[in-house]
Amino acid sequence: MKIKRRLNQWNNLKTWQPLIIAISLVMVVAILHKAHWELTTETNPLDIWKGKIVTKGDNETNINFPGNAGDSITFKGILVTSPRFEVYNNDSIVLSEYSKDEAIVYDEDLYGKTMLNLSGMRILINGDLSGEFFESEIVTVKAYIIENISYYSENGQNITLNREGWEALPEDIHLASDTDYYFFGTELIILAIGSYYSLNRIQNLKTQLKFAKHLALFEFKRGLKAPRMIVLGSFFTIFIVGIGWLLGDLQNSTSVFAVTSGNDGILRLSYFSFFVVSLAAIAVSVDTIHKERQSNTLNMLLARPINRETIVLGKALGLTMVVGVPAFIAQVLGLYFMTVAGEMPTIGCMITFLLFGQVMIFTMVTFQLCLAISAKNGADVVIYGLGAWLLFSVVWTLLVYAVSFVIGIDVSAQNFENDPEYQAIASRLALLNPGFVYQMAVGLFTHRTISIDFEGVPGWLLLLSLVLWPLICLRIATWLFKREMRG
Amino acid sequence: MASSLLELVEVQKDYRIRSFGRVIRTTKALDKLSLKVEEGQIFGFLGPNGAGKTTTIKCITGILKSDSGSIKIKGENIENNSFENKNKIGFLPEQIGLYGNLNCIETLSFYAGFYDLKAETIEKRSLELLGLLGLGKDAERPVGEFSLGMKKRLALAIALLHEPQILILDEPTSGLDPRGVKALRSVLRDLNTKGLTILLSSHVLSEVQEICTHVGIINNGKLIKQESIQKIREKVRKTAIRLSLRVKNFNKKNEDELIKKNGISIIEKNDLGKHQQIILTLKEKLIPWVTDNLVKNDVQIFSIEPQDTSLEDVFMTETGGENED
Repeated sequence: MKIKRRLNQWNNLKTWQPLIIAISLVMVVAILHKAHWELTTETNPLDIWKGKIVTKGDNETNINFPGNAGDSITFKGILVTSPRFEVYNNDSIVLSEYSKDEAIVYDEDLYGKTMLNLSGMRILINGDLSGEFFESEIVTVKAYIIENISYYSENGQNITLNREGWEALPEDIHLASDTDYYFFGTELIILAIGSYYSLNRIQNLKTQLKFAKHLALFEFKRGLKAPRMIVLGSFFTIFIVGIGWLLGDLQNSTSVFAVTSGNDGILRLSYFSFFVVSLAAIAVSVDTIHKERQSNTLNMLLARPINRETIVLGKALGLTMVVGVPAFIAQVLGLYFMTVAGEMPTIGCMITFLLFGQVMIFTMVTFQLCLAISAKNGADVVIYGLGAWLLFSVVWTLLVYAVSFVIGIDVSAQNFENDPEYQAIASRLALLNPGFVYQMAVGLFTHRTISIDFEGVPGWLLLLSLVLWPLICLRIATWLFKREMRG
Repeated sequence: MASSLLELVEVQKDYRIRSFGRVIRTTKALDKLSLKVEEGQIFGFLGPNGAGKTTTIKCITGILKSDSGSIKIKGENIENNSFENKNKIGFLPEQIGLYGNLNCIETLSFYAGFYDLKAETIEKRSLELLGLLGLGKDAERPVGEFSLGMKKRLALAIALLHEPQILILDEPTSGLDPRGVKALRSVLRDLNTKGLTILLSSHVLSEVQEICTHVGIINNGKLIKQESIQKIREKVRKTAIRLSLRVKNFNKKNEDELIKKNGISIIEKNDLGKHQQIILTLKEKLIPWVTDNLVKNDVQIFSIEPQDTSLEDVFMTETGGENED
């Protein structure tokens, strides 16, 4: 009986069956991906590092790792510091000094070598990795246990260090993304095939998309002429252009607010863009469904052969264009003024700043549509919209403090923001804020790979979040709108 | 057997009042409602306020989804292919909502965008309909400047734009002045003559009586009668007719004598100054007895007018005189 019911439920999902199968397969590939790393690499280098045995005699110190000299392990971890700061030279080390953190005695042989900090584990690389790898990148390192003897003095006493340490050659270090991309590529292909077959099963898809375009263009033309958009559009254009110029100027400054590079400038510009553009996105979509319900234009629309899903999609696209087109112009102008006064950011970073900006606007519009559909009256819609904007743009940090406090982080301590635990909480919570997701996604593209770790949040999760936010909001909005139909 | 143009089979619909997503109250709007509208009819959908007329129409037009039962157009369930079936329906809602900043042509173009129509067809049809509905001169005026009557006519043009097979009108004359009502009636008759099937809901009985060929009476979400106007009239006539008499010297004694007679009832008495008006319902064969009796008792009769049997009589009888307002 239960099986029959489940089968019926499955048959009712005929349109979405290929997509569901594809998502299931993607999850299987994701598990295989994870298993691949777990089986072929040591994903907790810090455990190995902490497992070293240090024994001290009268004139002797021994450092041993489980295993024998010559044994090798491929480690997978995050570059905690930038390798360019970890290259030994005569300015950075004091010869014959024993470093407890690195478990090594400094000598001239180390000049030009790099002491990699891989998720807290120290691996000596026989070469200079400056400019080859960067902070926060996820890499794999095939390292060997090497034995050597060195000498140092402590409290006037000469001590022999019989050291076992991990060493690797520069060619044994690879970005994890070299492998990750095969898995991600497979997952994307499966998802694309599933989506294609599911979309093919939607009745009159082409016609409904034509209707969505028709409705979107109508909303766009109407919205652009709306007084509130004229006011908000002018306001955010002036704001973004002004901030752009200021961020450019701050690149030549020595103040505490100094901007370190063009890419740093664009990251900050993305925050300010979100601050004003999200307000505009919420303001234009605040009463879109509610007002139409009040003025009875909605029933006129609902009686046409247009699906409710198409209405929500058309409206969301139209309202995104209403804010997106002026925002795009404002952002381009902001970038121009920033580069005139300061350094040029990378092309990839500029493209993602503009492109993800549109995704962010679409997300905010669909988010507000959910609130506008579920609100019972005009006052509710405005309060919900304003509340959402305040939450995402203004009070989010307070929310992070509150959550951190609840889980036991001392948020009254000095420099608690530098506490890794706090940073991990802040990063993870940031995935729940479309503004921060936008900022972090732009930040991701200041790097050369998506195998980046943002304090516990990997780059792929960030991109997934950027894609899921608008899709989930759109799905909820259509679900709420369809629920109305049930009365 | 050919399928009806529109058929509702045991349609059920409840309204759910929600609080924080939970259903806290349910109100039954349609209770296993079944009805049939055949091609070429002007079907009057009658019922007191709150009977379920608008809910039925919303379910037919796809604005609401019925909980159970089926709605078929030419035998095909409307939910199986709502796109095709919605193309067969033209809908004029009771409350007209139009975008005030658009003019007639822009409004028609906007709504035409949701049908598979070519640009030339849209333009031609728009001008044709605006001319037919007397809006030709106002084609370029913003809709926001329109009177309610003009808006109704424009909404009717929208409903007719894609040449539907059935036109559904929810309280089409509400808010219109008598001239507007008359003009609308004439347009609807013309459209019906050209083969368009019409379903209109109303609680204005005279309107339904005037224009409809068939009528369905709904009360408490149930269809309680569905018949042709002609048949209803005949049935009423067989049981009783209504007579209006203008008389003088009609007193209590005369009244008692009339009431005593089986099959006669006085339903209204009006003092017209010089004369009195008495409205009676009675069996046709009793008319000579009434006149003889009144003359014999020195009542002067100035006129005798048979009144048309009203749909109101049927409506009041069938709905039990209820009004849920």
